[in-house]
Amino acid sequence: MFSNLAVKNVKKSIKDYLIYFLTMTFGVCLFYMFNSIDSQTSMMQLSTAQCNYIDALIKLIDSLSVFISVILGLLIVYANQFLIRRRKKELGIYMTLGMNKSKISMMIVFETLIIGVFALVVGLLLGVFASQGLSVLTAKMFKAALTNFYFIFSVNAFYKTLVYFGIIFLVVMAFNTISISRLKLIDLINAQRKNEDIKIRSLYLSVFIFIISVCCLGTAYYLIIKNGMFEYNLEFAGSIILGSIGTLLFFFSLSGFLLRVIQTNKKLYYKNLNMFVLRQINSKINTTFVSMSVICIMLLLTIGALSSGMSLSSVLSQDLDKKTPYDVSFIYMGQKEKSDIAEEVSKDINMDLNKYAKEYNKLTIYNQKIPFKDLNLDFSLIKNPALNKGIGETGIFKIVSESDYNNAMKMQGKPTIELKDNQYALTNAYSDLAPMYNSFLKNNSLIKLSGQEFKPLNTTVLEDSFYSNENFKNTGTFIVKDKYVKNLNISLQVLNLNLKEDIKEHEFLDKINNAYKGEERPFDVLNTRSMIYEESAGMSTTISFVAIYIGLIFLITSAAVLALQQLSEASDNVERYNLLRKLGTEEKMINHALFIQIAIYFFMPLSLAIIHSYVGISVVNNIVSVAGNINIVSNTFYTALVFLIIYGGYFFATYLGSRSMIKAKRN
Amino acid sequence: MMQKILQVNSVQKYYGNKGNVTKAVDNISFEVEKGEFVGIMGASGSGKTTLLNCISTIDSPTAGHIIINGTDITTMSSKKLSRFRREQLGFIFQDFNLLDTLTAYENIALALAIVKTPSNEIDIRVNQVAKELEIQNVLKKYPYEMSGGQKQRVASARAIVTRPAMILADEPTGALDSKSSRMLLESFETLNQALFATILMVTHDAFTASYCHRILFIKDGKIFNELVRSDDTRKQFFSRIIEVVTLLGGDNSNVL
Repeated sequence: MFSNLAVKNVKKSIKDYLIYFLTMTFGVCLFYMFNSIDSQTSMMQLSTAQCNYIDALIKLIDSLSVFISVILGLLIVYANQFLIRRRKKELGIYMTLGMNKSKISMMIVFETLIIGVFALVVGLLLGVFASQGLSVLTAKMFKAALTNFYFIFSVNAFYKTLVYFGIIFLVVMAFNTISISRLKLIDLINAQRKNEDIKIRSLYLSVFIFIISVCCLGTAYYLIIKNGMFEYNLEFAGSIILGSIGTLLFFFSLSGFLLRVIQTNKKLYYKNLNMFVLRQINSKINTTFVSMSVICIMLLLTIGALSSGMSLSSVLSQDLDKKTPYDVSFIYMGQKEKSDIAEEVSKDINMDLNKYAKEYNKLTIYNQKIPFKDLNLDFSLIKNPALNKGIGETGIFKIVSESDYNNAMKMQGKPTIELKDNQYALTNAYSDLAPMYNSFLKNNSLIKLSGQEFKPLNTTVLEDSFYSNENFKNTGTFIVKDKYVKNLNISLQVLNLNLKEDIKEHEFLDKINNAYKGEERPFDVLNTRSMIYEESAGMSTTISFVAIYIGLIFLITSAAVLALQQLSEASDNVERYNLLRKLGTEEKMINHALFIQIAIYFFMPLSLAIIHSYVGISVVNNIVSVAGNINIVSNTFYTALVFLIIYGGYFFATYLGSRSMIKAKRN
Repeated sequence: MMQKILQVNSVQKYYGNKGNVTKAVDNISFEVEKGEFVGIMGASGSGKTTLLNCISTIDSPTAGHIIINGTDITTMSSKKLSRFRREQLGFIFQDFNLLDTLTAYENIALALAIVKTPSNEIDIRVNQVAKELEIQNVLKKYPYEMSGGQKQRVASARAIVTRPAMILADEPTGALDSKSSRMLLESFETLNQALFATILMVTHDAFTASYCHRILFIKDGKIFNELVRSDDTRKQFFSRIIEVVTLLGGDNSNVL
């Protein structure tokens, strides 16, 4: 009998259930998408290194999913609370008719179950299709060829989604039963008449608090910019604490401040329903400022996760051609000089290098202790604070001989140099350091080496890498005539080689791996170009996936909470809107007021979050750009697009839902 | 000749369908002239609120015509109606219906903002009407800080401030104690005499009705009787009202 009632109720209040349904569907869809990565990638041809990354990624997403299902569960409980509140009167009538509480909560559970199953089906369908798109993205990130298109359905992810959402439902049912058993009949019947006690704070106090909040935020920004993101000291903690307090106070005082400011402009204040809207927001702010602050911080995390995640991944995969000037680099550390490194390598790996290599070259990097701080360098020219600190305090120049350098450049297809006896050239791989070095060279600064003074060859610093590596290593290297390096300490020796056209890198690598099964290798590091490409792709994919997954979940959560708040606000205020209508307010004016009110609630937290993240991201950028430059514009664009679709979608759904809620009921 | 503000011509309002029709308003006709203070009395269920809803354009009659200030509102589109409502009518409700988020001043100003009055004029007019109704000292207060009588006078100020052709009051004293009721009704007299406001008031309370110039009694959707105060004192008029009410209901359960 009440299953009928439940079905009818769902049909009747389909609009109330819209946001609920939307959120569940998105949640299920994302959940399936990211949990089906293993099946997606199983169809791709991936190297062992990439497979390892995928395994790690799947494990990470596994544990993340628990965390995310907790968040979604709490969100659904919150949404249910809203639905119960909205239907207090209806529930009251059931109770006066003698339906007991357990029956009522059964009925509500049944209703949510109907919507839930529906959302599960739609969400899974969406997820299955969206995951095809994700697999294209995965393939692109792994730079794996997706020669054949397979339609993938992940049974594993399917079951996992079912199980997790089943558990969420059980939790929601428990919560529902508790909250319904707490309801009192008298409150339910009088729900409509309930008039909230309004405490209106002094507006001057709001202005004062607002100014304090702006000061807090300003100080927090200053501290974080000065301190950077990755040094966890007092300044960092201060910045986080001041930032949180500032955000809280900001939303606490914002409505009062706005009211005060706009009141001074009578024209604006008494225009249309502005006065009504501002007062409306101000009256609710006591209960909403905490959630607005939390949402602001959630949005900040979302923006941070989405754009930094994407940026970091593009940094890791960026400049790869500059980081890998050679196909293969053997790196030997230690002091002992090797007379003919190529021969030694050939002997070590027990094969003739000439059979594989088109060309090869050895290079010795000397490590004479010339600390950066001993030279007349202007560190303030380094615009990147993270790099500035590290280089200034611990940086040490390396030295390479002219002939080694010229041989290396020939092999890289770059111009060579010609030094005079007392001349030096300067090279470095970081574009951020270039201004400092250029000014150093322009000042005709001398360096001292083994009792001899050297003058600069030219006025601009060269930009080179000496071997293939996942990071730039060359932070500053002097090049001098061969005879001056004789007695210096050796830092490392490198054998770089480019393979013949018909030799594949992994064949060569297999040969080497076969030669040293389980044994200790004579060289310290072996880097190949494709290895570095794969690793950075694997790393960047992991980072991007996790960031996008968390970011999207946070985004839907905040948007859904805002939407539910605004919908319940609209349903609480039906009487006020009816009064406006009775006074003869145009429908257009009422809708406009509603729109502005919801827009303020949606876009105030977003605006502050954008300002926060602008500061945060620029700080992160400084650090990330140590590893390479970021195309922040395109990443920001994608983040903005995602926001526009999801957040904007929720905003419009909320507006439409609220509008139909306050619409006059014709007799 | 006095100007006719309201003409109600054989208005009918039926509820229900073919088999089971309820005639809430059954062929009622009357007129209200400019500057009149007219009361409509009747027991609950007599159809007086339905009639008021039809006149106030919130509801539309099944048949007949309602002409306010020369305009037939029964043929208007809903968009024009809301415009008409805010420009020609002022409302006073039983439960005040003030916005509890706004101060008294702002509640009154809101009515002016809705008709897009220039902001400098708003201040002048709010203060003027506040003086008339003696509520200057509560202008800065919020509804929760006011007494019922003050609230209803603020609501009256809101109704009159747009200078409507007619004020419609639905049981304005219904939620007030007798002292506040008296003060409110005296303000109504002031509005009526000093500002020449036309007032149409629905009530079932004989005391409240005794402030009117003319009273229409409604029973079962029809006009049952009409009383004109002419030169009676309020006390004499009150006695005549009680007589009609007794006749009307056969009992005096609705008499104060």
